[in-house]
Amino acid sequence: MKYSYTWLKELSGTKKTPKQLAELLTMHAFELEDMKTEGKETQLTFDILANRGHDALSHIGMAREICALENRQLNLPASHFLTNRKGLSVKINDTGLCRRYIGVALENIKVAPSPKWMRARLLVCGIKPINNIVDITNYVMLETGQPLHAFDANKTTGNIIVRQAKKGEKIRLLDESEKIMISKNLVIADSEKALALAGVMGGLKSGVMNKTKKIILEAANFDPVSIRKTRTAHNISTESSYRFERDIDSNLAETAAARAIELIRKYGGKNVKAVTTADIYPKKIKPWTIKLDLEYVNSLLGENIPANKIKKILESLDIKVKSSEKYIIAEIPTIRIDLKTQEDLIEEIGRIYGYENISAKVPAVELSAPPVNEKRVFEDKLRDCATSLGFSEMLNYSFYSADDIEKCGLAIDEHLEVANPMNPDQQYLRTVLVPGILKNVETNLKNFDKFSIFEIGRIYSNHGQKLPDEKTFLAGALVDIENKKEIFFELKGKIEALLEKLGIENIEFSEPKVAGTIVHPTRAAVMRVRGRTIGYIGKINPKILGEYRIKNRVAAFELDTQEMQNLASSLREYRPISKFPSVKRDISMFVPEGMAYADIEKEIAKSGGRLVKNIELFDVFEKEGRKSLAIRLEIGSDKKTLTSAEIDGMMKKIVSRLEKDLKVKVRK
Amino acid sequence: MLAKKVEEIKSKSLAETQKSVSERELFDVKVKYLGRKGKLTEILKNLKNLSTDERKKIGPLANRARQEIDKALAARKHELGARADWEKEKIDVTLPGKKQELGHLNPITLVNREVEKIFTSMGFEIANGSEVEQDFYNFDSLNIPKDHPARDMMDTFRVKSKNNDLLLRTHVSAIQVRYMEKHRPPFRVIMPGRVFRNEATDSSHEHTFYQTDGMMVGKDVSAANYYAIIDEFLKKFFGKNIKTRMRPSFFPFTEPSFEIDFECLLCKGKGCSVCKQTGWIEIIPGGMINQNVFTAAGYKRNQYQGCAWDIGISRLAMMKYKINDIRLFHSGDLRFVNQF
Repeated sequence: MKYSYTWLKELSGTKKTPKQLAELLTMHAFELEDMKTEGKETQLTFDILANRGHDALSHIGMAREICALENRQLNLPASHFLTNRKGLSVKINDTGLCRRYIGVALENIKVAPSPKWMRARLLVCGIKPINNIVDITNYVMLETGQPLHAFDANKTTGNIIVRQAKKGEKIRLLDESEKIMISKNLVIADSEKALALAGVMGGLKSGVMNKTKKIILEAANFDPVSIRKTRTAHNISTESSYRFERDIDSNLAETAAARAIELIRKYGGKNVKAVTTADIYPKKIKPWTIKLDLEYVNSLLGENIPANKIKKILESLDIKVKSSEKYIIAEIPTIRIDLKTQEDLIEEIGRIYGYENISAKVPAVELSAPPVNEKRVFEDKLRDCATSLGFSEMLNYSFYSADDIEKCGLAIDEHLEVANPMNPDQQYLRTVLVPGILKNVETNLKNFDKFSIFEIGRIYSNHGQKLPDEKTFLAGALVDIENKKEIFFELKGKIEALLEKLGIENIEFSEPKVAGTIVHPTRAAVMRVRGRTIGYIGKINPKILGEYRIKNRVAAFELDTQEMQNLASSLREYRPISKFPSVKRDISMFVPEGMAYADIEKEIAKSGGRLVKNIELFDVFEKEGRKSLAIRLEIGSDKKTLTSAEIDGMMKKIVSRLEKDLKVKVRK
Repeated sequence: MLAKKVEEIKSKSLAETQKSVSERELFDVKVKYLGRKGKLTEILKNLKNLSTDERKKIGPLANRARQEIDKALAARKHELGARADWEKEKIDVTLPGKKQELGHLNPITLVNREVEKIFTSMGFEIANGSEVEQDFYNFDSLNIPKDHPARDMMDTFRVKSKNNDLLLRTHVSAIQVRYMEKHRPPFRVIMPGRVFRNEATDSSHEHTFYQTDGMMVGKDVSAANYYAIIDEFLKKFFGKNIKTRMRPSFFPFTEPSFEIDFECLLCKGKGCSVCKQTGWIEIIPGGMINQNVFTAAGYKRNQYQGCAWDIGISRLAMMKYKINDIRLFHSGDLRFVNQF
């Protein structure tokens, strides 16, 4: 809220400069947002905390803070509201929604500009002066925090009904917008029509005009939730709704009405007369008490504030205090709706005492190493392994569009949908990471010919009990424009290295049966370990590359981090290095069409047994339309040096099994 | 006489050998003294014409001289040869090395790690939470009732569901009550993660960003303890000379609530554009856990005291690396990521 420095000074009697005042309040109450000085006047904008809208959105409220901090009493001239005159007809249909309604009919009004000093103060506080009556209602609101409204009595049937709107009922507001109301909206009406959107904005027709002679002044109190619903439904926010939404004290209506009448009598015409009044206030709010444990005050603040100091602080905030040795019974003024618990009071004590006076104390805790978050540690290890293999880390949004789902051939009904996306790119929660990765590829191809990227992120599925299933996946891609070879194997090599580093062994790469349309139908593999699927790797389907405007080949992968974590093992056991030499023997062979290398490797391992220590493919080529493989075997024993006869025998066995079982043709 | 001549030839040829700087010159020396018509060769050829006595005297002398000269020439040739080889092998060591593929981590990860390291060194556990949450854990349990203006502070992405109670968490504080339900105080825990706000994006606003909340609960955890923890964290993160201050604030899930500022590093508190002329930068919001949060977790009111706070990881990363646009973290641009 914007405050006038001179106004605050007048009410509080402070001697501080605007800058000193701003500093004092920032450290003890509200943060200064902005300060503008023009001549003698300074506009101070403070960010009023959400729980202090009740009292601090007013100059009196702020002056009370200043006085408490400067250790002085705030003295306000008492103005009394005349309740003896009655006769105004006011009916409240739901006293839960309208908790108090004070109406005062005033005659002999002469509408004119308000006095210059008042217009100046309104302007400092960011409110446009209109005429004396409207300005007085705004002035009193800025002073007390109570929104007021004035109707032109002659444009009404002379009575007030507070009711919920009829469905489809229309009203043209002061800002000239026409609103079609829903039945939940609370309105101020007369016998015939709605006069105002209660607590939000007045109606245009019943507004105070130059010719207005008689007014009905309204000082009411409304349910904050109802006001909030109404103003959000119509997407308007006013000084009035802002305050009512934060809930204000019903007793404030009386103070404000009295103050407004006082000012209208002074500035609203010579013979202004209050003719009829009404004050419907069925459930009077009275001060309440909080029992405050003095020991708790110091325990929660971690300070040692003496009891009499605590008492003094509370009293400076207009809280009445009765104290015993251990407790304080605090009687809370009704304006401080925010003070309900001991902790609320402790906050008041702490901030007035000054948090800068509370010194840091290292907590006394048991020395113990914290439990390790295995998931977090594993994900971090993945990041380190990935970067050591040349992958750089991407972070993509958790959303994508219906368009992405379609491009990648995913099932839209497997997706969770955002109910209120700002744009179509945020409409669905991702079930795979690859669309994001492909967007990264497209971005980076503008600047790089060769790169590897990865992301560790959540995917969401609409399966699950109360909460959807969330899994953390590792995905990535590799691009290498200059490389004429199949980049699938470049990526596969990196993934194998990654898995090896994590201690995940025996990975089977098998052709995917169903893997959506993201990967190339014949250049992709599902990765399995002991029957559990951990992810897939493959070239991206050229059709999808086209959809993402990618002109180069891309190899990508996705891995389930939880599956990997379950399989990963940091356990290592040293195997003694063999004392006996091993030899290397090569076999080259023509293989039948469609034969997988993995089958050949398996066959060699099976027939060679433990003496085959390593199998390495070192060449693949085509000759006369036939595929030829060259494999190097490392053969040796841990127990003795093998004779060449033994090695030859073993090679012979391997070759014959390969030829017999797999129908390969070993080249001699 | 002849003996003297041999000595003369020897010393001359040795001197010329040493003076030679190329193989060509050495060859010339060799020809001059040891060639077919070389000076020493002539003496050797002439030996047969000498008297027996003289031959016995000069013969060995001349032969020794020949050997010495040969040896010197060879040595010099080796010397020169060795020198020439190094020159031939010279490389330009200023040429760039072979490019290696080096992966880079996103700065969000780097800052996450740093924050986690500081807190785990202080004995804090790290807790996980889900990104899609229920209203209860994101709002109600944290003392933010429906239709409360506090919900305005956080524009929420709602997720369609049968019970219509799912959303994308707007803060990692949504983990607080879930953690409390599964653990009994005392505990110290931090809760890192991705959060979502349904906001229009610009250089300082993102709908997706990162936070790490923390909480400590026990019998007598105090505001003074809270200040000590945060002060220690900020000193470890920004350097031990940093100045901090604590002032009042409001959050529904803490009471009392605080804002912790640190003195602007750029102007040292004098006031500049970075700190909006205040000399201070607001960094960590937090406070003493509201008893309503404890009761939402099933604890008895006033049985425990605790503090909780929120660290904006994206913002810390921006400050640490002087990143001027929050959207860069999700840009996927390697020109950005490769700098870290």
